[in-house]
Amino acid sequence: MTKRIAMAQLTSCWGCDQSLLDLHLGLLEVLPELEIVFWPAVVDFKIKDLESMPDESIHIGLVEGSCRTEDDVRLLNLMRAKSKILVAWGVCSCYGGIQGLANQWELDELVDRKFMKADTVTDPRIPSENVPAFVPQVRPNVDVVKFNILLPGCPPTSKNIVEALAAILTGKPFDLPEKSVCDQCPKVKQDKHITKFHRSHEGRIDPSKCLLDQGYLCLGFATIGFCGAICPTVNSPCKGCFGPVLRVKDHGAKIVSALGAIAEMEPEQLKDSFPDPIGSFYFTDYAASYLSRMRDKARSKKK
Amino acid sequence: MTNDKTIRIEPVTRLEGHGALTITLGAGNKVKDVQFNIGSTRFFERFLVGRPMEEVPRIAPRICGICPEPHHLASVKAVEAAWGVKPPPAAIKLRRLLIESKQLSSHAIHFYALAAPDFVFGPFADPSVRNVAAVLKYMPDVAVQAIKIMEFGQELCRDVGAKAIHPVTAIPGGMLNSLTEEERDKWLKAVPQLLENVQKTVDLAKTVVKAYIDVITKVAVTPTYYVGLSNKGVLDIYDGTIHVMDPNGTMVADFEPKDYTKYWGEHVPDHSYATHIYYKPAGYPDGIWRANTLARCNIAEKMATPLAQAALKEMRDLVGRPSHHTFAYHYARIVELVQAAESIKKLLEDPDIVCTDVKLSDVTPRAGEGVGVVEAPRGTCLHNYECDDEGIVTKANIIVATNHNVGGIEKSLMDAARLIFEQDGLKKLRLPEPLVKT
Repeated sequence: MTKRIAMAQLTSCWGCDQSLLDLHLGLLEVLPELEIVFWPAVVDFKIKDLESMPDESIHIGLVEGSCRTEDDVRLLNLMRAKSKILVAWGVCSCYGGIQGLANQWELDELVDRKFMKADTVTDPRIPSENVPAFVPQVRPNVDVVKFNILLPGCPPTSKNIVEALAAILTGKPFDLPEKSVCDQCPKVKQDKHITKFHRSHEGRIDPSKCLLDQGYLCLGFATIGFCGAICPTVNSPCKGCFGPVLRVKDHGAKIVSALGAIAEMEPEQLKDSFPDPIGSFYFTDYAASYLSRMRDKARSKKK
Repeated sequence: MTNDKTIRIEPVTRLEGHGALTITLGAGNKVKDVQFNIGSTRFFERFLVGRPMEEVPRIAPRICGICPEPHHLASVKAVEAAWGVKPPPAAIKLRRLLIESKQLSSHAIHFYALAAPDFVFGPFADPSVRNVAAVLKYMPDVAVQAIKIMEFGQELCRDVGAKAIHPVTAIPGGMLNSLTEEERDKWLKAVPQLLENVQKTVDLAKTVVKAYIDVITKVAVTPTYYVGLSNKGVLDIYDGTIHVMDPNGTMVADFEPKDYTKYWGEHVPDHSYATHIYYKPAGYPDGIWRANTLARCNIAEKMATPLAQAALKEMRDLVGRPSHHTFAYHYARIVELVQAAESIKKLLEDPDIVCTDVKLSDVTPRAGEGVGVVEAPRGTCLHNYECDDEGIVTKANIIVATNHNVGGIEKSLMDAARLIFEQDGLKKLRLPEPLVKT
């Protein structure tokens, strides 16, 4: 029997959809198992069709993206109500995503920059007709509704997605790996003697050696090993885009404490090495950080 | 109180991104207003400020998961322009291979997954079958040829960019890695089958165009300006100057990307978070332009490759130049699909494609401003950054492809809505029997 599946996009880049399509001929095996009841990117069902379905009538609900608007929040709640198994599809859904970096500013500053102050804008105004209101900050979807499965990644690989779907379809548990990106990385690690950090465009990388050992900020040690260490394998430092290793609550805090222990540098010197600590240590999960949550709390109090 | 009737379509489906449609009808079904409501945005321009500029090409792809390669490359070009860096020639060839591969897979996905269901099953088929999953079920051969083109494009993107979705290898000063000879040979071996599948796509598209010529020539024929890159008259998606064609087909501007603010205006509508980019000297709404496949094909004097040039000629014989036929966008997409496939072959056959001299080692940040432009599948993609002398971003302006099109989309929706509601025009259209009856 086919399983009813819905895929909903909150504010996002739609890369998770592309990753699913990148199963290529594998789609021919997966799709016949599924009855697509909602997937705006591909099929013509509308919001009212989703609303009219009985609660828990969808076997598998995948939610991509995070909530930037009140419509996103409504769609997220709708997907929770209609789905038996709800999957946080991708790092935006799990931890807020890259757009969480916007939480460093107040909403009025963000809106002002985009609609009032952009160099090219000729008639500044803040759109208000037939568009949903923005929410003050991006929150991880798991703070809004309960999920059954987390599937992090920016995007999760096609393999990640098909493994999760296969587990759900066969009723098996789906567990995230205990490993880190470092555990999956083929590069040779030595004792660390980091006395200086390089920016990613500086110098020549020795392709055989660990990037962190060479002084590049590669975050594989603190990042969940779910991608197959794609970036460090090709000499591009891991930015941590799949989110933290299991059970770490705050990705950046884990990175900072580890760097303090690894680098043979004075704290001031270490601090000066990273002019952009939030962007450097919370690439796609600032919304899930203690810092962002504290700011969120202060914001609510002010109101 | 008015007796206006509002039709709301939410969401607009088979679309990448979040859109809704609001149509207001007055007395006698007169179309009073058509709005294309884009309901979200993420404020990249704000949170890019403060980031080291060399990191921006890793952030920028996240603007669009369907076309991350153009963002990756426009971004790295902007950084290089600001820092006065010129990457080695072999790196440029690799970048071209990357963007052509994306063009190939994106055009295939758009034609087969987003557009074809309307033609295969007919525009009035049950919505539950009007999708690519049904194409897979009823026309498996066609679906397999579609998947194989997409697979070629996406997997070649992966070999060059390390990740097909959110590539990482373009960095200021070049590319992190070269293509190995082994990889090159593998792709060269696959090229003949790709060209065969592309030819089958051309044949299918021509059948569809012939069958739906009444729709193409009568629905949403909407004169606008057009904008796009052109490299000395040749359609080029990686490099060139920005051209603007007016609705009569006269080229009214040809300028370096760095001068874009003189020509590009950004209208903020009250009803959409996606702004409308337009030809500033003509004002808004007169200066509404469109980008994307048809715009590039209108602007180009010729295509870069022979089969694509033949396809362009055939298209122009049918719809003219400039073509304002909104449905001809699909035809132009196929013309460009051919160019992408031929360009990939040409690049793979170039011995430089496996050259290992692809990265400068002495890149130094400096204070400055840079503009980087490429053509994304859906139109001109521009990144503009300013940084301080440490290379930290102090300002960013990004104009994504879609924003060139939303003003034109509303205009063509208005034309289509008038035909449907005021003239009852759908009944008069000659429609073929669907390829597949469900």
